[in-house]
Amino acid sequence: MKCLLIASESAEVLFYWTDPEFEQNIQEQYGASQEEGEKPPAFEDCINTLFAPIIISCSTMVDRLGDGYTSFSTENNHSYVLHQFEECLYIAVNGDGEEGEEDLRRKIYVMKKMIEVLFGVVTLSSPLLRKELRPQDTEQRTRLWKHLQSLLETYSRLKEQDQSFLVEAVERLIHPTLCEQCIEFLERSLVQQINSSVERAGEEVLHAFILVHTKLLAFYSSRNASTLTSSDLLALIIMVQNMYPSNIDLEDCAPEDVENTSAPDIFYTPEPSPTNRDSGTDGDSVSSGRYEESRPEEGSHGGRGTPIFQFVDPDIQMAEDSLQTLECPPHDPSTPSRVFLEVMLKEGCYPMMPHSMYCLPLWPGITLVLLTKIPKSNLAMSIYVFLEAFAKLEKRLSEGLEGSAARGQTSIQDLRNKLDKFIRAVGTVDIQTSALQSVWTEFKSRAFIRGGHGFNRGLVPWCRGMKTQLCGVYRQCFMAENGVGGGGPQRLSPSLQDRALIMVQEKLIDWKDFLLVKSRRNITMVSYLEEFPGLIHFIYIDRTAGQMIAPSLNITDRATSELGKGPLAHFIKGKIWGLVNTSRLYLQKGYSTVTLRDGDYFFCYFLWFENETGYKLEVKELPILPDDSAPIGMLAMDYYRKLLRYYSKNHQGEVVKCYELLTVHLGVIPVEYILQHCSQLARKLWEPSRIPLL
Amino acid sequence: MADNTVADSRYNYFFLYDGSKVKGEGDPTRAGICYFYPEETPLDKQELLCGQLAGVSRCVSELSSSPVRLLRLRRSKFAIRMKGDFLWALGCSVDIPDVSICNLLDQLINLFSFYNGPIRKSYQIYSQEDLAVRWARYLSHLQEGTTELHHIFSCLSTIDSTHIDPLLLLKAALILQACQRCPLVLAGCILFRGRVVSTQMSPDLTVKVMVHETETYNQDQRTNGLSSSSSSGSSLPSPVTFTTVFLTDPELHYLHSAPVDRTTRSQSTQSTPKEVNRPRKSRLLSRTLSDTPPSDPPEPDPARPAPLSLHCPSTPGSSTSDDLLFSPSLSFHTPPGPLSPSPSTVSPQISYHSLPNGKSSHEVEEGVTGGLHDQSLDSLEGGDSESGLIGVGPVQSCDIPHDLNRHNGDSMALDGEKAGALGFRGQNSPGCGRRRTGIVADEKEGHRGKVQLADTGDVPPAPCENSSGPPLTTMTLYQHRVRGLVLALLVEPHFHNDTAAVEEVYHSSLASLNGLEAHLRTTARGGAGPQGPYTFAHYDCIQNTLTTNLSGRPGGAQERSFVRATSLLHSHFSHTEALQEAIVRNAGAAVYATRSVAQETYFLQQGGALRNSGIPNHQDSAFSLPSKARHRLLKHGVNLL
Repeated sequence: MKCLLIASESAEVLFYWTDPEFEQNIQEQYGASQEEGEKPPAFEDCINTLFAPIIISCSTMVDRLGDGYTSFSTENNHSYVLHQFEECLYIAVNGDGEEGEEDLRRKIYVMKKMIEVLFGVVTLSSPLLRKELRPQDTEQRTRLWKHLQSLLETYSRLKEQDQSFLVEAVERLIHPTLCEQCIEFLERSLVQQINSSVERAGEEVLHAFILVHTKLLAFYSSRNASTLTSSDLLALIIMVQNMYPSNIDLEDCAPEDVENTSAPDIFYTPEPSPTNRDSGTDGDSVSSGRYEESRPEEGSHGGRGTPIFQFVDPDIQMAEDSLQTLECPPHDPSTPSRVFLEVMLKEGCYPMMPHSMYCLPLWPGITLVLLTKIPKSNLAMSIYVFLEAFAKLEKRLSEGLEGSAARGQTSIQDLRNKLDKFIRAVGTVDIQTSALQSVWTEFKSRAFIRGGHGFNRGLVPWCRGMKTQLCGVYRQCFMAENGVGGGGPQRLSPSLQDRALIMVQEKLIDWKDFLLVKSRRNITMVSYLEEFPGLIHFIYIDRTAGQMIAPSLNITDRATSELGKGPLAHFIKGKIWGLVNTSRLYLQKGYSTVTLRDGDYFFCYFLWFENETGYKLEVKELPILPDDSAPIGMLAMDYYRKLLRYYSKNHQGEVVKCYELLTVHLGVIPVEYILQHCSQLARKLWEPSRIPLL
Repeated sequence: MADNTVADSRYNYFFLYDGSKVKGEGDPTRAGICYFYPEETPLDKQELLCGQLAGVSRCVSELSSSPVRLLRLRRSKFAIRMKGDFLWALGCSVDIPDVSICNLLDQLINLFSFYNGPIRKSYQIYSQEDLAVRWARYLSHLQEGTTELHHIFSCLSTIDSTHIDPLLLLKAALILQACQRCPLVLAGCILFRGRVVSTQMSPDLTVKVMVHETETYNQDQRTNGLSSSSSSGSSLPSPVTFTTVFLTDPELHYLHSAPVDRTTRSQSTQSTPKEVNRPRKSRLLSRTLSDTPPSDPPEPDPARPAPLSLHCPSTPGSSTSDDLLFSPSLSFHTPPGPLSPSPSTVSPQISYHSLPNGKSSHEVEEGVTGGLHDQSLDSLEGGDSESGLIGVGPVQSCDIPHDLNRHNGDSMALDGEKAGALGFRGQNSPGCGRRRTGIVADEKEGHRGKVQLADTGDVPPAPCENSSGPPLTTMTLYQHRVRGLVLALLVEPHFHNDTAAVEEVYHSSLASLNGLEAHLRTTARGGAGPQGPYTFAHYDCIQNTLTTNLSGRPGGAQERSFVRATSLLHSHFSHTEALQEAIVRNAGAAVYATRSVAQETYFLQQGGALRNSGIPNHQDSAFSLPSKARHRLLKHGVNLL
């Protein structure tokens, strides 16, 4: 009984996802009121009708009372969580007790994050986003919704199964030597070769990383790239997992089975000619400056349809079936996904800048991911700067601060000049700017009359209009299917991609099986038992780096995990998941240390700050957040980044690091020993996290 | 502007909405509003809230096929009850835990049905305006003066037992037990200035009874303010009132269950050593003890000895012997002053009225107290003799169905520490006689109910059944006021037609009540509990009482952070069954919480800010809180071992 719905203020369904039980429930309710023999209405219409009163009431309350709903709960413990982002109302429902309100709120924020990654700056304009989320064309809409639905399901699955998505931090494979070798390989061979190739079509690889299932083996960022935030990295891992879901049962089968299911030799057939490599010239300065044409790329939202390699693994095929994704038309596997990621440069922070993501499956479960900067990306930065300027202006005007708006004359003159120049420049590269042009002309005529007296509240709608137009231009440029003109799709050439794939495969072929096993048994509890008797499980998280370490916890029917198998293992797993939720609950209210005696177990949670050398900094009063604040985590809204910023205020010029430790002990162990364990564990785990990976 | 009102009262909105009045398209929302608080809210805002919340609740409950329980908004939240066409909503600020606000709404609804019967029917019988007055009264009763902690636990406010001679508590229990010798009396409680001194009823029922008491007390206060207290002679309303009340089946069952077997009771008395030496004290006492409830304390017996011994040292002079309690000298150095001239002739003037508008009692008791000097003894004794008078026959007969003396066992002595079920169970030694085991079983049952309640968190089982328009049985609430003290008894409806019974109950309790009142008046003025370098709150889930050394007005940062932590931990406890202990710490304070099935205890050690880095460190002072709490709270009668 689960559901997630996005609706516009006029109660139009912009997206929905339901599980089969919820769908059945809705249809039964609707069926009851339906005349005999009448064809049942489309599911989308049912859901629309049933939720419409709630949606309308929500906007009525906001309009008239200035206070909107955040959640409902019923006597049979169904939960509804509502959250309004701009003009989109998100509603998440759970009726089976598997998710609490916190989980639902998190799901809503994650959904929003995924939409931002897929649509970028377009999300800043509600009218455009509405159109984007609900395309007129039914087929297109079905395809998009299916994609979003499957992303949501992938996220929910990972959150249920994977500790790194439970705590929202990246888990690395702990194998320092191999890891270092791989990074070196990515840097010296792979990225360098691609970036110096003429086939790269003006793109430049910024980041390259290798995932073994959800775990990170190696990550390399080129020198002039900004760091990839944990939030974005986690979102990308969800997308990769959505394209190539790892099937736990499959992975846990015997080695020979793995052998059988791995790709046959034909897989390596593509034979790129080494002579094609253009290793000499760096075309970057040439290509990045001009706006290249791009032709519509189909299924930019997709990219997850069939796996890129020709061989189709039957098990993966099955998994795909269950996700109902097969209806999507297959598309060119070498087409990258367009993703919008945060870029931090010296000049400032630019959220949602366009990138292309190439997922090259090395073997089932092991994926090479390349993130490239696309040719027109500096256009995106300009648009973002203009958007920000208009948003600020709008805010000041609607607050009645005309004075200060006018005082900003110089910057507004500056904006005017820049925007004029921008429109002229964009007009030359086949982007339709007539609408932007006309709104801008209108804006100017209203704003700059009588020496700046036009800056008043009346200008607010025009600010909005400008924002919408700018987002429209952005959409033309970067939302691939609307790309201008003909020509080939913007991408690294398929042969270049193949070469990259083979290079990495050759490098890792001997390690393949090891890596697959290692990803399931990254670190094991057994190695800690002697030193920490009574310790059942722990999770150690470096929030500054966004990384975590924890003994593996795979509970499948086929393999015995660290916790054993069967109900007890599931019980403990449930306890750990519950502990993480509980610790967040207290952290939200400002508590950084929590110990709990729960039945036969003893839980501890600690959060602390250190400087770079490991010196423990004194604890400080943490902010107390309201119940409906953004979920604590790194994926959707980076709570810890804010926390670090908040804490660093008193530690100027010092690098502040934030750590968390969660432990589960047997309740019979005396508390003094448990606490001793915790402090020893914190000391012991500190070392591995020093390895410079990111 | 709304924010100000929110800050003032904890509940910013309450309304009752009747959906059946707004069926058609053209029906205005206002037609469905039965009551809206605050009443001065502009009508269009009332309509907005009622219309929107009722509409959304209806829509959601259809989607989920279950009534809505809670609607949360960004700045407030509403506990909701839906029954048939009726919808109740109680709004509060977001700081109050969900469990608490839902409990409060249930209490409010149950209060209404306790005094007015089924909702639909009462709105047919009485005018909307009359009922509005009552809703307002119940609301103000619920948000009255108590501390924020009381609201978190939605517990009974009791007198501060640490400042009261425990013997007075015992005496209160004795009075109640004496009253029960009349077969028409089901159970009772004694209240002093809006706080419980002793009760034989379940906490839920006690709360309901208290509304009326508080109301009349406040009225008296007001009148007293105007005219000096001694001038009461002019109006002289009766100190006794009768009110029709409605009990639910579970409540009735609870009152009627476990009939007392008096023959075994005396055996059980023998079995406890403490009891054994009591009869020696005096002839009179021995009779009292063997015949009347106090002697056979089914649960108080186990629980009481300990508290007694604990408290005695703190109340010098009273510790010596039991007979002190019953010796006339002990008490009633009654107000020697302005007493009425004709003490001996005072007869109860009894007014019957079935509506709880509480215009009843004024202070006749002044007259009564006068006669009290030497009657205190008689009153106890008189209790005995009158029981014979009633013609119930020998008190010992075990087959009197109406004898509900087992409740004397329930009487809460408010010793904070004794805390229910565990203690009682421990006392369940073999050979205590079947009566006792019966009670223990009963206790367990109640106790199980409590646990369930904790499990289900937001959805306490009892109230649902209650408000569903289930059979409500009419009973009568007898109240006898002596200044700030009130004796409230639930009696069979035909009790007030039975003049002999009424007079007997009245006379048997009169003198003792006077004495008790005088004592409580002089001793109960103590401030907050003993302050120490720590703050604690101890919640007894069985008796629904709270012991704390936190003063009523939230003061310092540490106190606020204690209340915040307590509210968070309490809601965590309420939905996590297996959770037994927790320590939470922020930069400023660490709070330790522990609970068993019967109690929850919260403890904060005050003092210099704990300098720490937050990294796990076993030498951290926060982790010594459990042992500190165990140690410190012993003197408050809280035993955490």
